[in-house]
Amino acid sequence: MASVNIAGREVELDEDGFMVNPDDWTEDCAKYFASGEGINELNDDHWKVIHYLRDYYKQFQIAPMIRKLCKETGCSLKYIYELFPSGPAKGSCKLAGLPKPTGCV
Amino acid sequence: MALSKERLGRYNPEKPQENRLTDLGPRHFWEFFPPVIQENYGKWLYHDILEPGILAHVSETGAKVYTVRCGAARFMTVQHVREICEIADKYCKGYVRFTTRNNIEFLVDSIEGLEALKKDLESRKFAGGSFKFPIGGTGAGISNIVHTQGYIHCHTPATDASSMVKAVSDELFEYFKGMTLPAKLRVSMACCLNMCGAVHCSDIALLGYHRKPPIVDHEYISKLCEIPLAIAACPVGAISPDKTESGKKTVKIKSERCMFCGNCYTMCQALPLSDQEGDGVTILAGGKISNRISDPKFSKVVVPWLPNSFPRFPEVVENVKKIVEAYAKGANKYERLGDWAERIGWERFFEQCGLEFTEHLIDDYRLAYDTWRTSTQFKFTDAAWEVSKVAGGIEE
Repeated sequence: MASVNIAGREVELDEDGFMVNPDDWTEDCAKYFASGEGINELNDDHWKVIHYLRDYYKQFQIAPMIRKLCKETGCSLKYIYELFPSGPAKGSCKLAGLPKPTGCV
Repeated sequence: MALSKERLGRYNPEKPQENRLTDLGPRHFWEFFPPVIQENYGKWLYHDILEPGILAHVSETGAKVYTVRCGAARFMTVQHVREICEIADKYCKGYVRFTTRNNIEFLVDSIEGLEALKKDLESRKFAGGSFKFPIGGTGAGISNIVHTQGYIHCHTPATDASSMVKAVSDELFEYFKGMTLPAKLRVSMACCLNMCGAVHCSDIALLGYHRKPPIVDHEYISKLCEIPLAIAACPVGAISPDKTESGKKTVKIKSERCMFCGNCYTMCQALPLSDQEGDGVTILAGGKISNRISDPKFSKVVVPWLPNSFPRFPEVVENVKKIVEAYAKGANKYERLGDWAERIGWERFFEQCGLEFTEHLIDDYRLAYDTWRTSTQFKFTDAAWEVSKVAGGIEE
């Protein structure tokens, strides 16, 4: 597994660019990943989604279902895709430092 | 077709959303219809199978179209696709289609064209000697084997797809070229019990199967996995949350409860279970999806486990052959394999196919009760007599 230097700290990444250890996450990580996901600048809505994902993960140890994410943050799925062009799983979960989505994706 | 450089420009990684086309859907099938199909769409009167692999459809306008069906390996190179295109250009005005079992169909509208096409297809071989475009797969025979990724591409298989399909197809080739069976016989293959494809509803199905529980990677599981997902993935509730000595979150697996389905590995990459000696092949039989005469059926496990003997899988081939031959000998016309087995009774199916019945085949998952025999209706078989004698129940 490769590691990158984000704002002076070594962070381990897997081959899809997801963080290996969610505990290593800082806001700098989100900023670092944003450019790779086609996001120029993180606005308040981006941060709302990212913090919601992190809080949910901290509480339940899983990523929330899409419906839950949309309902709780008030963003429609269409708007989530506008915020994170590669979608809620590949985009926002990566920025939030959550584990890579699994299953038949 | 080359990549667009003019109208929308090249892809620009700096601005990924610029000039992005999306939600276009597939091309409409009408664009790729041969003219004879377009003209007679919805007007077909009847069809005939002229010979194995060759169909003739007659329209109410009097138009005829001849279809030549060829086997295909499903995994194919662009070079092979180009060869298909070359044949289609030469004989079929550039039109060709693929079937739902991944055969190739060339359509021509004259008998002369048909003869020339047939001759050409049969002459084409790979350097190793295999037919590139064997004609067949129609009527009461064995068409292509629907199969999956195997070791070529997937991370959860218990066996390989392409090599086993090649080994079994080689052995069943005469049934592909002929229409000698009581009814069509569908063979399918899946390399783990996700059962991608048609394994659960095929006359004969080959299924990759594990026999050992997953190994837990305690070091990485809490980082890589959403642990509640792994726990909820288990159909028998064998996984429970646990802590390592250093206090990290992990899971423990009750190995006596685990039936090696591999669902938890699908959800969590820190639970690998693939194993060289443990993994192998299960054979199922008797499924179908059509509603002809009898209802659609699920296939049932008839051989619990056979080893992965790469590259030719002799044990699998031998058992498939046994089932096909017993079915060809015993079944009535139009009877699918499952219909035959149910008519003669599964105890007679095992006897006639020469398969051993073991405790692995007795259902023990939740709704199992309905699969047991709640009747005195059964036929004595040699195997049953043996059991009876061992138990001291029968005096000779």
